[in-house]
Amino acid sequence: MFAMVTQLIVSGVATGFIYGLTAIEYTLIWNSCGLLNFAHTKTIMFSAYLFVGTFLAIMANAYLPAVICTIICIALFGVLIALIIFIPLRNFTRLIAVMATVMLGTVLNEGAVLIWGSAPMSAGGFLDGRVEIGGVVTSLANIYIIVISVLVTIGLRLFMKKTKPGRAMICVAQDKVAASLMGVEVKRSMALSVAISFAICGLLGCLCAPLFRVQQTMVDMVGLKGFAAGVIGGFGNTTGAIAGGLLLGVVENLACMVVPSMYKDVIAFTLLILFLLVKPNGLISVKKD
Amino acid sequence: MKNLRTSKAISIAAVLIVALIVPQLGFNDYIMTIFVQGLLYSIIVLGLNFITGMTGQMNLGNAAVFGLGAYTAALSTTKLGISPWLAMILVALMGWLIGLVLGYPSLRVKGVYLTLTTIAFNEIVRLCLQNMEWTGGVGGVRSIPRFHIFGFLINTPVRNYYFILIILVFVIFITYRIIHSKYGRAFIAVRDNVDAVETCGIKLSRIKVQAFTLSTIYGAIAGGLYASFMGYVSPTTFTMNLSMSFAVMLIIGGRCSIAGCIIGAFVISFAPELLRFLGTYYQFTYALIIMLALIFNPNGLVALGPKIKHLFVKIFHKAEA
Repeated sequence: MFAMVTQLIVSGVATGFIYGLTAIEYTLIWNSCGLLNFAHTKTIMFSAYLFVGTFLAIMANAYLPAVICTIICIALFGVLIALIIFIPLRNFTRLIAVMATVMLGTVLNEGAVLIWGSAPMSAGGFLDGRVEIGGVVTSLANIYIIVISVLVTIGLRLFMKKTKPGRAMICVAQDKVAASLMGVEVKRSMALSVAISFAICGLLGCLCAPLFRVQQTMVDMVGLKGFAAGVIGGFGNTTGAIAGGLLLGVVENLACMVVPSMYKDVIAFTLLILFLLVKPNGLISVKKD
Repeated sequence: MKNLRTSKAISIAAVLIVALIVPQLGFNDYIMTIFVQGLLYSIIVLGLNFITGMTGQMNLGNAAVFGLGAYTAALSTTKLGISPWLAMILVALMGWLIGLVLGYPSLRVKGVYLTLTTIAFNEIVRLCLQNMEWTGGVGGVRSIPRFHIFGFLINTPVRNYYFILIILVFVIFITYRIIHSKYGRAFIAVRDNVDAVETCGIKLSRIKVQAFTLSTIYGAIAGGLYASFMGYVSPTTFTMNLSMSFAVMLIIGGRCSIAGCIIGAFVISFAPELLRFLGTYYQFTYALIIMLALIFNPNGLVALGPKIKHLFVKIFHKAEA
């Protein structure tokens, strides 16, 4: 019993970090552009395809270079998308840009089918295997996900607090006009945030590749739960995003012991609506006035 | 002023005559089904216009509302054996209930919460409909009874077309009245300036919940009509993609315009037929066209009319000079 609960918690924490990273990735775009990026799930899917279908195939299973290449490609793609969608549409009604990102998602989805075909792929031996720590057996992928996510979160936090472009991003998130008056290049800062956000999408694509079969719908649920994690943790707040993701992942995994597993997804969304009713500001609320 | 009004009346009459003639042009049943779908989607998009177009809150759960409306009609007529007309009352009540239960938590706080809760709602509804036994699971509900009007059975697509056309005209009339009432003005005011609305003593959350409830009632009614029209419902219809399509219809047609909503609903309903020749490239091209249309013509197809008119006037003046 104890071993089972611990195992569920460990894998819950791993999925929780995936949700948390998803939440961070769209929160970055939300903070800098004031938009929800609905293309993010399809971007993660696309990067998983790019990683498995192209880079792993070309580089003959040299994992680390393949991951780095994927992240760089997706980040550059993010800059392009920022120039096409996010920056030109920033002054229009939010609706239009949101729908444009939805359509971008469909373009990516269909693009993946046209490029790599509709048959599912698998990541081969990437992050394959099991480890045993103190009687708890878990997959190697889970351990890697937890370690990498912690490193990325800390790195992002340091970048935002300590470096000039990071601080500029915080300024832009707080007040665009004031930021531009203080000499911050708002458009460049927006492009940078979108690029970082897409880079995290690329990383998530690589991390998700061993967890799911690489196909079009592989991360649809992860994307939706990333939104839920953001709201539960506190919208527009990167620390809250991780906290919400962890809570969601662990609760969801433990709930599997009580309710049939097909209702697992229902639990996450019910939790979201409950949080909105009881604590609409989330676990960690930020005052943004 | 009088001139404008007559020209408006003439164009409405022309559209009505065309709409009445369409089934007589000898389209096959398949094309007629798409026409009926266009009419049903018009009702939903008109409802969506209140919350997404006028109040400016993104609602991405309309497929679930549509689905719950359809299932309410389907289950109450097949399991309880009540008449489809009576079922429509239940359907409208269902729509009202969804609007209240979902609108209250998400519209009480400012921000994008409605978008997120409606997405969650869509998934919850789809998963529940798919997995619960009394809704028929993935197979859905079959042999849903049709509407009767004084012994006249509405069973073919053409009959359904006229039946739903009459309802749509009625819905358009009501929508027109709502848009030009104090509520309609308050909805638009919420979109344009939230702070001013509150200063005027209008309760922001209440007006938003009202707009959302209107949209869910419209969606549920369209769902009830859909169930009776198709004769069967299955949970695989009511996905997130359908919700996205509704939003696309609204924006492509033109927000805050009744004509825009209807044009959008028909254009997107017929898009798969018009782009069929593209084969496997269909979805890709479709999404790309919509994306570019949003970026270059964000105000929708209705905004193209004046633009083209302006262009013609310009060319005409050049030719004269």
